[in-house]
Order: sequence, then C-alpha cells, then structure tokens
Amino acid sequence: MREIELTSIELKDVSKSFGSVFALRSTSLSVRKGEFLTLLGPSGSGKSTLLNLISGGYPASSGRILLNGKDITNAPPRQRGIGMVFQNYALMPHMTAFDNIAYPLRVRGYSKDDIRTKVTDALARVGLTGFENRKPKQLSGGQQQRVGIARCIVYSPAIIMMDEPLGALDKNLREQMQDEIKILHREIGTTFIYVTHDQEEALNMSDRICLMNNGGIVQLGTPDELYFQPISRFAAQFIGESNLLAGSVDDAGDLRIATGYSLKVPDHRGLVRGQRYEIMLRPERIHVARDGQGEVTPATATARGTVVGVSFIGSMTTLAVELPDGTLLKVKSTSLPAQNRYKVGESIGLRWDPEDLVVLRSED
Amino acid sequence: MTSGKSHIIKDWRKRCLQILGTGLAFGVYLFLLAPSLIVTPVSFGSKYELKFPPASYSLDLYRIFFSTEAWTQPLLLSLRVALSTTVIATFIAVPAAYGLVRFNFLGKKFLLALIMSPLVIPSVVFALGIYLYFSTLRLGGTTLGLIVAHTMFVIPYALVIISAGVQKLDPNLEFGAMLMGAGRLRMLMTVVLPQLYPSIAAGALFAFLISFDEVVISWFLAGPNTTTLSVKMFSAIQWEISPVIAAVSTILTAVSLVVCLINVALQKGGEQSS
Amino acid sequence: MVTSATRGAGPFVAPAAILSLLVALVPIAFILYFSTMEGTSVEPFRTILKSSLFHRAMTTTVVVAFWASIISLVLGYIVALHLARQTARRRAALMVLVLLPFWTSILVKSYAFTIILGREGIINSFLSWLTGAQVALPLIFNRFGVMVGMTNYLTPLIVFPVLASLLAIDPALYRAAEVMGAKPIRIFLTITLPLSAPGVLAGVLSVAVMALGFFIVPALLGGRQDLMLANLVDFYTREVLDWNIASAVGVTLFALVGIFAIPATLIRRTKGRIAS
Repeated sequence: MREIELTSIELKDVSKSFGSVFALRSTSLSVRKGEFLTLLGPSGSGKSTLLNLISGGYPASSGRILLNGKDITNAPPRQRGIGMVFQNYALMPHMTAFDNIAYPLRVRGYSKDDIRTKVTDALARVGLTGFENRKPKQLSGGQQQRVGIARCIVYSPAIIMMDEPLGALDKNLREQMQDEIKILHREIGTTFIYVTHDQEEALNMSDRICLMNNGGIVQLGTPDELYFQPISRFAAQFIGESNLLAGSVDDAGDLRIATGYSLKVPDHRGLVRGQRYEIMLRPERIHVARDGQGEVTPATATARGTVVGVSFIGSMTTLAVELPDGTLLKVKSTSLPAQNRYKVGESIGLRWDPEDLVVLRSED
Repeated sequence: MTSGKSHIIKDWRKRCLQILGTGLAFGVYLFLLAPSLIVTPVSFGSKYELKFPPASYSLDLYRIFFSTEAWTQPLLLSLRVALSTTVIATFIAVPAAYGLVRFNFLGKKFLLALIMSPLVIPSVVFALGIYLYFSTLRLGGTTLGLIVAHTMFVIPYALVIISAGVQKLDPNLEFGAMLMGAGRLRMLMTVVLPQLYPSIAAGALFAFLISFDEVVISWFLAGPNTTTLSVKMFSAIQWEISPVIAAVSTILTAVSLVVCLINVALQKGGEQSS
Repeated sequence: MVTSATRGAGPFVAPAAILSLLVALVPIAFILYFSTMEGTSVEPFRTILKSSLFHRAMTTTVVVAFWASIISLVLGYIVALHLARQTARRRAALMVLVLLPFWTSILVKSYAFTIILGREGIINSFLSWLTGAQVALPLIFNRFGVMVGMTNYLTPLIVFPVLASLLAIDPALYRAAEVMGAKPIRIFLTITLPLSAPGVLAGVLSVAVMALGFFIVPALLGGRQDLMLANLVDFYTREVLDWNIASAVGVTLFALVGIFAIPATLIRRTKGRIAS
C-alpha cells in the first residue's frame, strides 16, 4: 500500500521493438513521487524510447506502465496527464508566448480569468513576465525553452518529462538553466524525468540516474553511486574519466596486472583467487610526486612510472604516466602555478588508496 | 613579370567566359519571355490587323471580347469550373497531404502513384479515358464532368505543394498538443491548419491556374454549352487568327503574372514565419 | 521523435483515394478495354501497326521529343548556370523571368509564336525591312515551329532541377579547385558538370515524358506532316470516330511514356519527396 502511494510511475517488463530490432529490451523501473530521475546514455541507448513509451509516442511491444497505480499502457497521450519539454522547444510558431502557455488550459476548458491568472503565474515562475505577447521567433533559445517549461507546469501534470531540454543552448546558459530547473523542481515537487546524454548535467541535477546502453538499463542509482561505484566498464567510462586495469588474482590475493605489477585490493571486495577481473581507478584519486618530494616517496609509492604526456586544461592538469610494464595511467590533479615541474620523460611515483580501486562486473 | 602577365590573361579569359555565359543566358531569358511580352502590345492594337508593333493603340479588342457572348460565356464557364475545382481539390488535397506525410500504411505507394498519375500520363491519354468513361456515364459535355475531371487533374499539383508544407511542420508540436490534452481534431484545427495556411493558399492558387488554363481534357469533354475559354481559344487559333485572341492572351498572361507574384510573396512569407 | 503512425490514415486519404480510383484508374481501364475491343482482340493494335500514318506519327514523336529534350537541356543549363552564380536576391528577381513563362498558358505562347514566326510575322517583317526585299521564311506550320514552341515550354522545367543541384554544390569546391590552379573550363568539366548530373537526369527524363505527350504545340505550330501520337489520338477520336483505334494509339503512347517515366519516378523516389 505504502509502496504504491510513493510510486509515481512504474514500468513492468516493458519492451519496444521496431520489426526485429529491439529499441528497448524488457525493462522494469519504478520512479518515486517527487523524484528527479535522469535517463542518461549515448544516442541509441533506449532513453528516448523509454520516454516515448511513457508519454505515449508509440505503444509498448510488451509489459505494463502504471502511473500513480493506474494502468496507462494503452492510453492515448492526451489522457495520460503528462507534461513534456522538447529539445527543439516545439512551441507553436503562430501563437504568442501567452497563447502557447494557455494552450493546455484552453484544451481543458478553463475560464478566461483562470487562464490569465495561471499563465501569468507560470510566466513569472520562469522569469518571463512581460514577454507574453512575443512570438517564439522573437525569443532567444533560452527564453523559448522557458516558455516550453512554463507551458508544462501551468497544468500541473503528474510527471514532467524533459527530452534533452538544454541540448540546443550554449554552455553558460545551459549551466544557468540547470540550476533554474533544479530550483523549479524543488519548488513544485512534481516528478521529473529528464533525458540527457551529458553526464555532468545528470550528476548535477538528479536524485537518481538511470544509466542506459544498448536498449537496456546498465545501472540505476544516486549520482554518488554511479560515480564512485560504477558496476561495469561502460558505467565507469561513460561517467567521469577512468583508468581501467585488467588482471588475475594471485595467491596472495593481490591483483596481478599485465607483466608483474601487483595491486592490493581490499579484502571486502571479495575477489576469488585465480579469477580475472577488471578494475577501475579514477585519475583524480591517484596522488603524484617527484622522488624525494612531497607526500609520495619511493617507499610508499604504489607504482612508479614515466611521464609521457602533460595536458593543462585550466583548473586541472592531466598527466599520462607509463608504468614499466607499458600500462598507461591517466593522473589528474589540481593545476598549480608551478605545474611545469612535471616534464615528459620524468620519472614519478604514484600512490592511491586501495579503497579507491573499484572492481567491475565483467560484461561478456 | 611573366607570371603577372599570365595572371592577367587568365583573368581576361575568365571574364570573357562570364560575359559569354551572361549573354547566352539573357538570350534564353528573352526567348522564354518573348511570347508573353509580344501579346500585350498587340492586344492594344487595331481590330483590323495583327501587327507588331501596332500602328495605333486602342482598347477595341477588349471591347469586342467583353461584348461577344461567344467569348464571355466561355470566360464565365472557365471561372466557374476553376473556382469549383479549386475548392473541391483543396478540401481533398489538404487531408491527403497530411495523411500521406504523417502515416505509413499498406498500399501507400500505390495510392501515391495513382494520385500523381495525371502528372505522368500524357494529358491526351488521360483525356481520352475520361471522355470514354464520361460518355457512358452521360457526363460528357456537362459542367459537372469538367469539374470532376479537373479536380483529379489539379490534385497532384496541389498535393505536392501542400505536402511540402506538411513536411516542414514539426511533429513534436502535434504530439505535444495531444500530450497537453488536445483531441486529434482540435490538434489539427489549432496546430496543423494555422501553420499550413500559406501552403494551402499556394496550392489552391496553383490549382486554380491549372484548371483555368487546362486545354486538352476540356477539349475532349467540351460540349456545345460547355466550351471553356481555353477550348474556345484553342479552336480560335486553329481556325480564325482573330486579333481578339491577343486580348484573351493578355488577360491570361495577367492572371498568370498575378498568381506568380502572389506565389512568390507567399513563399517569402512562409520563409519568414518558419 | 514521433515515428510515422501506421494506423489512422484512413479518414485523411479516403477522399483522395476514392477520387483517384474513380477518375484516374477507371479511365485507364476504359482505354485498355476499348483498345482491345472490349478485351476480345488485339485487332486495333494490328491495324495501327499497318498504318503508315501511325508509323509517321510514332517516328515524329520520338524524334521531336528527343531533340526538344536535348535543346531544352542546353538552354535550361545555360540559364541555371547563370542563376546559380547570382546572389540570392538577384537570383530571386531573375527567377521571375523563368517563372512567368512557366506560368503562362501554352495557348498564349503558341499564339504568340504564330505572330512572331508567321509568314508576315515579326521575324520575317524585320528581315524584309533589313534586306529591303520580301522575305517569307517558312518558320511555322513545320518542324521548326514545333521545336520552337516545345523548347520554349520545356526549358523552365529543366532550369528548376538543374539549378537545385547546382546550388547544392559546396562553393568551397570551386575555391579549392581555383587554388589548386584549375582553369574555368576544367572546373566546369570536373566539378560543375558531374555534380549537377542528378539534376540534369531528373530534368531530362521529366521533360522527355512531357515532350512525348505534346498535343497543343504540334496542333497549333506544326504542319500536317508533324502530327505526333497525341494528335493522332485526337484525330481518331473526333474525326474518324474510331474509339478502339484511338485507344490503341493512346495505349501505345502511354507505354512509350512509361519507358521514361519509370526511371524518372525512381530518381524522384530516391530523392524522397512525398513518400517517406
């Protein structure tokens, strides 16, 4: 009982195929009321398919979709009570901002006064007071998307879905609007389902991220979980940067990678001796120092290597370090004015906390 | 020095080619325009002889045209047929264009080929078929027969123009409207139609002009009381080179020019609004 | 994001479907029916195959359509090339010079050519004035008149597709070729011509289809010996009153057009106009 009350939308074994091609393999997903859930994945991963199945863009091939406990699997879009924000805004070009926002209210037969109050309120919420008589063409991209959002919140749908809503905007505006959408979500408390292929956007905005690939869910969890405990190589590589190391567990319980390098792995990771594993290490979790300087000394270093590349990208500097066995490690650290102390060809020590090694699930 | 010289020669050669190309192009423009340009001055000439340039100018030919029932009757018939055809064809072509662009269904290609067939089948063949068919239905020589045949004949043109308009519409708008709660009919009236008006207007204009100018089908279907202006003109050019034809031609050219300009204006308007 | 629906098209396309079944398909069936003596024999086809009138009309049709297409292609290409090199604003203005003739009734053009090309027409009068002698070149009611009238009608139909494919060529290609030292003629032969080939092909095929079915121009500007198949259909229908023979000629013309129409529609389909 409590479960149902807390669940906004639930997908039970839903799949979609076009002919013989699966756009979405059998998937179950439950979204909590008021949650901000992001569907993250590369194009063709099935995130848009999932969105379309929920909104009624096309029918599911199998499975059931429940909205607030009600089966909407075969309901026409207009009876679902869902709001949607589109990447290309999808504003009616022949209507003013006011008329665009009033559209769902007029369809529902609201009185003129109600419409005026609600539209004015929605415009104020997205910071567009005074723009009611502009046509979409007379608005900037960001303003158009604000109208798109206002058009959605004005009729209080049960869920608001956003399909890459900031995809067409430039970087600064995108970041600003991310915050605006987050605040809006907090204020109105509606369930948001947000689609993006931008991992930073997903990490910044979501309560939970649903990472998708090849028409299925790879991992579902909080941004923290996805970043620090990716379960597969895909998850590790899609979100953030990563070093991947493969090897088998030796008799001492250490992971032996390539030619003779052994890595200590915490016991509670539950490695089985003799098995092959893939391990991920985030570049910024590796500490670096020149011999005899700073915190890393030859004695404590977990590995030694030669710098083969230095790239300074502003706040961070990335080093490419080659270990004696040829393995390349990416090492990321905060840039310092004296950054030029690392030079290609230089020998340096690396150290990391064994707790930072994440064992990945094998994919094949 | 030498390299500079060859540069000049090269430029000179390029310039020559350009001038040659422009000259040839304007020759062709003249060739294309000459017929449309010639008839106008002739139409303001004398009623006794066909001469270019006319020796004296008058409105005699227009006066004769508008006071001769043998010309005004066909003119009125052509207007009636073209207007009816335009209205019916538009009402058929608009939903058809939307249906053909937005939906996939069994037999779509066949249906499309059938609707577009008057564009490919020689008019004479189409006209003969309709003539034989309408003779058995006793529709030969009737205004209704003309309107039905013209409607079929102009629909492909209207359909091409209106479909191009539908293709420019964003399907997300239509889906979004339905998601916001609009029924299909309401969505079509408030989202699709308002955006399509320029294309519909262009398609209707096109339909009107094609029906008004159509000769071959009308020639086969014409009866004693159903001679359209173009049929009357066709036989007039064949049998009597009357100067009045110059006046008719000028009127037809003026109609074409107006349609052409409205179409250009609509296209510009369409570009601005999209 | 929303893919084409497979259901629900019925109400939209039904009127057009009914109309085209009744007024496009049935007439075609009628011609086939009549051309085969109500489906009983191929006698009408045998008759026309023996007729020298038919043979002459057939030859005329093919020869005239061929040359009219070629000449229209040359004229249309010159115009398209000129239009493609103008600024967008100038091009829009010059386009009217092509659009107006395109929109002008073929009757008006044919009539105008009787004034221009006639025995005492503008050209002959001008030549007489120029030479001081009576000049009466036979420019009309012969093959020449037919070609003038047809190319005048068909040239705009070449301009549109060729211009479209010329405008689709990336201007950077021209600059690159120039920088690499190519002369204008080489640039034309190696870049312009091959890249405009799709437009040329589409244009020529559709023009050939039109030219084969020409009726008005040969009737008004041609002589007795310039009858084309379309005129023969009319002749058998109205003067001989033999609907079977008329239908047989019509079917032949239809088949002839089909040879060109099928590749033309295939090209158009690959370009994907209406069909998705």
